[in-house]
Amino acid sequence: MRTNQINNEERIKAFKTAKKSEVIERQKLNVRYHVEDFDVNDRPRRFLEAFAAILKHSNYRMALDHYSRVAARCSHCATTCQIYQATGNTEDIPCHRSELLLDVYRRHFTLGGMFKGRISSSGYLTDEKIQEMAEAYWNCTACRRCVLECPMGIDHGLITHLARYILSEIGIVPRALVISTREQLEGASRNTSAVPVPALKDTLEFLEDDMFEEKSVKIKFPLDVKESEFVFFPAVSDFLMEAETLMGIAAVFAATGDKWTIGTGYFDGINYGLFYSDRILERVIHNVDDETKRLNGDKILIGECGHASRTAKNFMPVFCGGKEATPVVSILEYTHKAWKEGRLKLNPEVITQKVAYHDPCNFARNRWIVNQPREVLKSFCKNYVEMTPTGENNICCGGGGGTVSIDEIRPYRTTVGGKLKADQIRKSGCDILVAPCANCKKQLRELVEDQGINCQIVGLHDLIYKAIVFDESLVVKKEKNPTGKEEN
Amino acid sequence: METLLNFARGPLFRLCFALMVLGLIRILFLDVWAALKAFRKTDDKRMPWKLIFSRTWEWIFPFKRLKNNFQLYSVISILFHIGLIIVPIFLFAHIQLWKESVGISWISLSYSWAFWLTTGTIIFAVSMFIGRLVIKQTKLLSRKQDYLWLLLLLIPFVTGFVCANLTVSPATYHFFMLVHMLSGELIFVLIPFSKIAHCVLAPLSQVISVLAWKFPPMTDDDICTTLNKKGAKV
Repeated sequence: MRTNQINNEERIKAFKTAKKSEVIERQKLNVRYHVEDFDVNDRPRRFLEAFAAILKHSNYRMALDHYSRVAARCSHCATTCQIYQATGNTEDIPCHRSELLLDVYRRHFTLGGMFKGRISSSGYLTDEKIQEMAEAYWNCTACRRCVLECPMGIDHGLITHLARYILSEIGIVPRALVISTREQLEGASRNTSAVPVPALKDTLEFLEDDMFEEKSVKIKFPLDVKESEFVFFPAVSDFLMEAETLMGIAAVFAATGDKWTIGTGYFDGINYGLFYSDRILERVIHNVDDETKRLNGDKILIGECGHASRTAKNFMPVFCGGKEATPVVSILEYTHKAWKEGRLKLNPEVITQKVAYHDPCNFARNRWIVNQPREVLKSFCKNYVEMTPTGENNICCGGGGGTVSIDEIRPYRTTVGGKLKADQIRKSGCDILVAPCANCKKQLRELVEDQGINCQIVGLHDLIYKAIVFDESLVVKKEKNPTGKEEN
Repeated sequence: METLLNFARGPLFRLCFALMVLGLIRILFLDVWAALKAFRKTDDKRMPWKLIFSRTWEWIFPFKRLKNNFQLYSVISILFHIGLIIVPIFLFAHIQLWKESVGISWISLSYSWAFWLTTGTIIFAVSMFIGRLVIKQTKLLSRKQDYLWLLLLLIPFVTGFVCANLTVSPATYHFFMLVHMLSGELIFVLIPFSKIAHCVLAPLSQVISVLAWKFPPMTDDDICTTLNKKGAKV
């Protein structure tokens, strides 16, 4: 059954602890990611207090009660978990991981468990159990593929999310995520990559010039345009690393003529709260909502990013007024609709290489966006190939659940987390892999580099930018001046 | 022995059956009540019913699972459940008892169907027991109750099979019949308090999971206050 296990050498590299021994000694936490210094005293008590506070003010008790009653421990989930497939460690089976928290819940928060525990004087939460959880729940990529396999319908992804939330309340959370979130919520730049507004403006101007040079079309990145139909929130890292994706999106809007804007007050779609804290999740969602309201926009448009799209789509109604919440649209949905309506023309002669599509988990697992990008791609990529499995059964890139942002665990992500994905890419033989998600793109690039796979990782709009055909009326004729150079 | 059999067949059966029904109603009520409470607490009332129904359907008819690489275990598990549900409900002898005591009856299994389904269920239960013992990951996850349940479920099937198909002395027959009834009744009593509660709860799993992701708004303040973190930096 386990066909993709890593070898010993890879295992040692992947599981090497990220800290010096004195730091481990001080923090009493032997994990592969850096954690900011935190109060190490009385951790079990503080863990239980945080657990109790979260249970009191949330709906988690309902789910934990239900899962505790139905859990059959059949290990079906092991067949789909890519982490377990790669390590072969039984500790990595999703059901085993979930049981770590369910055991604490049963023992300390149910009458039967408390009674049984008192009688037998056992099952107390210890530092060792917290250590085990700190390791296990950040091994998981929260791809939620195991959810499809569980005969009892247990959402192991939800349990991972809750466990990380509780751990974060006692200070156990990857430093990389905390620093980014701190900058986003409390820093001057108000975004996870600390991009100041002047730098944003410079970047966009530069991209506009580039696009004019390449396409002879005056394509704009509209800033702070009030009453636009769409207020755009990409993963902010796109401004630094994914120029072609942004140009593709701007090009699509130039072709359709719809009104969109980027707000300079807040322009980051990233929401790390999804990975470790409901409190953070809500605060970031409110920032997105506030900026949309400031600009009086009709809809929130999220760029090519799986988790940003899922958080906005699912949690905008949850935290910002239910039915009254501003509608959320993914750029993939928008582009697909424009293409279907015939407002987007794509030249099928431009992309000749073998192209495959990677489903980001946050789009596909709940069958939200599966076919739309494929239809667009197939319309202009002659040599399109499908990977197996795909759609809601897709294999995670290996950097899901926020782990991609933790640079110190790169060896883990590219040998364990992404092992199955690497095999899948190799098998498909694709030259270009389309991954419409900022996190997936970063992880997949590192994966193909570390695994020595010759494949280019791009976003959907990167290819659209290359193939887009503009209406003649938009193209600015360039005249040749006496020196022979072109001028507009 | 006769008195004991009549007691097991009559008052004890009624008591155990009632305990099972009431116990299942209780946990079902608790689950539904918790779900309704969660639904009231959230501002987002949208429910992806299509997805919920389609995934629940896949749970009831788990043929999709046969595609994975755990096929043999899945096939055995599905067949085991089919026998486990159909035989006790549609066995002619059981229906006769209902008819005599309550006056209701329904369609019953033919003798050959009952024979093969019972045989199959016994074989599949033994296979699942062996599976739990030998498959590495299943073995690690299994609790005592996971093994005991399979053994306990085997008892009424084996004893019922003996009584229905083998020629034995009246004393042996009565002994097997008593064990058959007592084990069945023990199962009834334990169902609501064990993992077998999934027989009524599992169809709710998808709804519960969807609702659990619908977090109540404005909990930041409440949780920070409870944890003395008000005004603390990220």
